[in-house]
Amino acid sequence: MAKTASSSTPAASSASSQYLLFLLGGEPFGIDIAHVKEIIEYGQLTEIPMTPDFIRGVINLRGSVVPVIDLAARFGRPPAKIVRHTCIVIVEVSHGEGERQDIGVVVDSVSEVREITTDDIESAPTFGTRIRTDFIAGMARISQRFVILLNADRVLSTDEIAELAALSVKDEAN
Amino acid sequence: MDELLAVFVQESREQLQALEAGLIALDRGEHDPDTLNGVFRAAHTIKGGAGVVECDFIVEFTHVVENTLDALRNGSRELSPPLIAALLQCSDHLSDLLDLLEQSATPDAECLARGQQRLANLGNPTTPTPTPTAAATPPVAANSDRHWHISVRFGLDTLRHGMDPVSFLHYLEEMGEIVGLATIYDQLPALAEYDPEGCYLGFEIDYASTADKASIERVFDFVRDDCLLHIIPPDSKVDDFIHLIEQLPETPPRIGEILVQVGALTEKELQQALHTQSQLPHDDDHPAPKVGEILVEHHHVPPQLVEAAAGKQGKLQAGQNHTLRIQADKLDKLIDLVGELVIAGASARLLAREIGQTRLSRVTQIMSRLVEEIRDSALELRMVQIGETFNRFHRVVRDLSHELNKEVELNISGAETELDKSVVEKISDPLMHLVRNAIDHGIESPEQRLAAGKPARGKIGFNAYHDSGSIVIEVRDDGAGVNRQKVLKRAIERGLVSANQSLSDTEILNLLLEPGFSTADKVSNVSGRGVGMDVVKRNIQSLRGRIDMESVEGQGSRFMIRLPLTLAIIDGFHVAIAASTYILPLDSVVRCLEFKDAASDRDYLDFGGEALPFVRLRDLFRIDAPMPPRQNVIVVQYAGQKAGLVVDQLLGESQTVIKPLSSMFQHMRGIGGATILGSGEVALILDVQALVQLAATRETDSLSVQREPAVNQPA
Repeated sequence: MAKTASSSTPAASSASSQYLLFLLGGEPFGIDIAHVKEIIEYGQLTEIPMTPDFIRGVINLRGSVVPVIDLAARFGRPPAKIVRHTCIVIVEVSHGEGERQDIGVVVDSVSEVREITTDDIESAPTFGTRIRTDFIAGMARISQRFVILLNADRVLSTDEIAELAALSVKDEAN
Repeated sequence: MDELLAVFVQESREQLQALEAGLIALDRGEHDPDTLNGVFRAAHTIKGGAGVVECDFIVEFTHVVENTLDALRNGSRELSPPLIAALLQCSDHLSDLLDLLEQSATPDAECLARGQQRLANLGNPTTPTPTPTAAATPPVAANSDRHWHISVRFGLDTLRHGMDPVSFLHYLEEMGEIVGLATIYDQLPALAEYDPEGCYLGFEIDYASTADKASIERVFDFVRDDCLLHIIPPDSKVDDFIHLIEQLPETPPRIGEILVQVGALTEKELQQALHTQSQLPHDDDHPAPKVGEILVEHHHVPPQLVEAAAGKQGKLQAGQNHTLRIQADKLDKLIDLVGELVIAGASARLLAREIGQTRLSRVTQIMSRLVEEIRDSALELRMVQIGETFNRFHRVVRDLSHELNKEVELNISGAETELDKSVVEKISDPLMHLVRNAIDHGIESPEQRLAAGKPARGKIGFNAYHDSGSIVIEVRDDGAGVNRQKVLKRAIERGLVSANQSLSDTEILNLLLEPGFSTADKVSNVSGRGVGMDVVKRNIQSLRGRIDMESVEGQGSRFMIRLPLTLAIIDGFHVAIAASTYILPLDSVVRCLEFKDAASDRDYLDFGGEALPFVRLRDLFRIDAPMPPRQNVIVVQYAGQKAGLVVDQLLGESQTVIKPLSSMFQHMRGIGGATILGSGEVALILDVQALVQLAATRETDSLSVQREPAVNQPA
């Protein structure tokens, strides 16, 4: 009962979450801080042959091998250029039945962590963002500007990426 | 769940496996008394353990099963196939009960009813079936005057062995009534010598029960080896008590007092007993004569005597004492640490080389040799024989062949072949699919087989052996084999291949392993839902293994699963292409050669008179860095085939800790995993076999594209 009540009232003004805001190709994006484990410097990346462009490679994160994704390429844009402030955001996504996995995301720079209330979040327009709508959790208005809040589990869905990787191996075969 | 319970559940599962294996052996007609005894012992141990952990529902259920087995053992009942089937069902039920216990649940009404039904199927006409209430209540008054006297002194290590003295009392209460009890703590030492983990307790118990001596003794099965146990039957003479008093460590007056207190003796009897005892001649050469020769008590005999008397069995038990049960996660932790040690060792060696200090280099060399030995020993700890996994399939084969009215026997060879425990755990499901498939689709009905001139009874065989750093597991059947035309037709119907595509024999067989494929004419509930074979393939690939199939129509099929021996650490051969390091499993490397005619556009070379095909990894991986002046070919071997891999530099061998790659790379072929180098960089481990195949498929594809442009063959 209590559960239905709370979820059916989007106007529960007290509800807010913290988001990590970052820049990607000059455009601001946000991701729920609950998914973010850490932010590290960009470097010592091992490329993996025969994978799609948006898989940058893998890094050694204190003994674990963590894949790194180029979000810009994942959105179908040109791959991100490595600049002075480029860093890797380590994001934890859920995968399958309760399994969790760390994935690194290349971003141009991280800006800030900001509290955003649900009131300030709108749903995504049906088109116009040039990003698949299922990747978008919502649009937040911050200082006269829209920030796309990403749905980490969708954007970094390992199952989908695995399928794309499999396809790219086949494509190269022909 | 507490630790004792966890141990009980695990040990009971093992006993249950033994029980089932025994029943299956009996079912095959091996009427060997040892087998039956083994089955009985297994049931008995489960019951005993359940008593210790106070799990009543398992005790009650197993009790009835045990009665049936006892009747079989003493010949009062005959073994029959329906009875074996009923016993197998009971074993299944026990497994369910153990699951419940593990989840700290109790059986619901439906489960209880199912249990009762299964017990009823055993048809124990003569044995009084103890219903749950009967077992829990003390015996009726008519019997309660049969007073036993139990005297027990627990061994010092009892608590350390995870036993709780009180639980034995609880268990006794289930079979009778404890009328009187005295706790003996005379052995308790002075505080300075007191071992807080030691057990200094003993009980003198006056016990009313209709149970026989053996059943009472069984209560103490778990501590029998290191406790002092005397059981004096009801209506025994005073002499017996005298004997008991002599045997116990406490002084006679003290124990006499206790016996009176418990109610085993009256004051008068005690006086008489002590008097008699003092009159007996006592000296070192002639100890007090064995007054109670008629006693059927349990003597505590020094271990060396047991060994001498029991001969082989004694040795067997001694052997068991040398094994140690370790929790799997502790072992995994150790392997992880060894892995980290290998990596840390590699960076130390790298550093020593950079500094150029000979003495330091020498030390790091010694260290890496030691680390290598530690690695091997640690990995060996995880190796288990595959036989246990194989043996479980006797039951599957039996049940399925009955269900499908087929006659099938299972032959096992290579059961002693060892492989990593983590692999063994994951291989069970794929094997299950293969066996179900073989029985359902492979093996024909007895009539069909006779008509085809084959023996009515079909055969399924398991085999396992080591082959160049991998383990090969074979599943073969002598059934109908694969009808290529049917496979091709079905594949075209399902759109897996186009009608005008020409496929090699192997390619046709591999279609069977594609998702959504089933050749059985009708869908049965055994297999044939079109899921299964592709799952098998996927499971095996996720273990860095591969599966191949051979089949001769009319004669049978053979599946060969090739798996890496371990999932943790391998000996690697490091190579470099441009700035990247790659690692090949060392045991796949045959030789290294200089790559001479780099300019040639052919992809084979003369290797000792053999035309050896090779793969230019630089091209396959699309690395556009300038070519070095010298390139090298590594000749690799897998499953009897050879091929060359062209790389820039050879960096030498080194231990490699395999780090799993994210599941997003699960469909990737050619890369088997990753590792972390001494420099902290991630390097990729190449899957030699997949690489060569990938290159081969690409060449075939590019050639067939020239021939028929519409081909899109699934990779």
